[in-house]
Amino acid sequence: MKISFPRHLLYLTLFSIFMIVFAIWFATEKLIPLGREYKKERLTLKKEKIDLQRYQDFYDNTLSIYNQTKRKNRNIIEAFETPFDAQKFQKKYTKYFIELHLSKVVPDKKEKWYEIYEVNTTSKLKSPSGFYRFLDSLNKSDWIVGVTFPIRFVREGELIHSSFRMHIYKKNDEKNTTKSSESMQHKALKENSSS
Amino acid sequence: MKYSYIEPRKKSPLTPEAILVLTFFGIAFFLIFSTYGFLLFKEYRTADEIRTIYAKKSELKNSINEMKAAIAFIEKEANLANKIYTTNSVLKDSIANLFDLVPDRITLSKAVILKNGLILYGITPNKEIYSYMLEAPLRSIFSKTHTSFYQLDNGWLRFVSTNYLESDFEDFIHEN
Repeated sequence: MKISFPRHLLYLTLFSIFMIVFAIWFATEKLIPLGREYKKERLTLKKEKIDLQRYQDFYDNTLSIYNQTKRKNRNIIEAFETPFDAQKFQKKYTKYFIELHLSKVVPDKKEKWYEIYEVNTTSKLKSPSGFYRFLDSLNKSDWIVGVTFPIRFVREGELIHSSFRMHIYKKNDEKNTTKSSESMQHKALKENSSS
Repeated sequence: MKYSYIEPRKKSPLTPEAILVLTFFGIAFFLIFSTYGFLLFKEYRTADEIRTIYAKKSELKNSINEMKAAIAFIEKEANLANKIYTTNSVLKDSIANLFDLVPDRITLSKAVILKNGLILYGITPNKEIYSYMLEAPLRSIFSKTHTSFYQLDNGWLRFVSTNYLESDFEDFIHEN
């Protein structure tokens, strides 16, 4: 018995088989691995998004602590950043004395974080109470001023002549961390607002 | 010469079966390739998003570290400032206490307040008044006290009182 099978149908069958084989190969070798890869990356993205949110929360928390610390210590920060003005100091604190003279002393060694002005002060006062008020007001001054030993009081008739040294603490420019962090914070805030 | 009475049909390779098969595979491959393209695009986007997240995380990490350093620096500044303020207040109290300590009958001509001691120069009517009214309280404050007296023409005594807080008293006297 002879089976009659048209030639064009044979070609079509062969073509179909080839196409099916190609489709299976493409699906197993390319499509499914790519799909798996994509699924894996989606999981990674999800994890990274959660991690980023944690970072963002921690950043916000740190920023709020930073702002709070800055707000709390604003006067101290400003006092450290204000350059010492001997004339202004003299003008402001002469009221506690009859006379007040300042002379800058070059320190022997440079301090690590702060430049120290040593100021020789000679003053005349009627009673020590003026000196007490002066010491009280130093803690509210525009600068961070520390009176150091030795302190000399010498009686000259009705007046008391006092001499002592003061350290004016000024932030060293090399260690200007606060300023750099301010610019960093500003940058971050700008980026946050733009996104 | 003709063998058939009908006109010969025009033969085409696109038989209805072939069209059917081609349409089927055309649609099937379109779907497969478009899925592949879609997955490629999505994978690229996801990878890009992950890269952006990494960069953002690194930036946040740096910012957090910088802020932490700034907070530590501010706290250091605040501690230093508070220490200075406390020292000034303690100094004020110490000077006030010193002047309160001196009785009316003794007149001070000079007082030197040192980090670990006190030197007083003055005049007293006699040694007893000095001993009871000034030396006794000074001894209760300082660990070592040494006083020298010099007779004045009017009968009063000029004194130099050196008081020190620590044991190295001899060195202190030589230094000052």
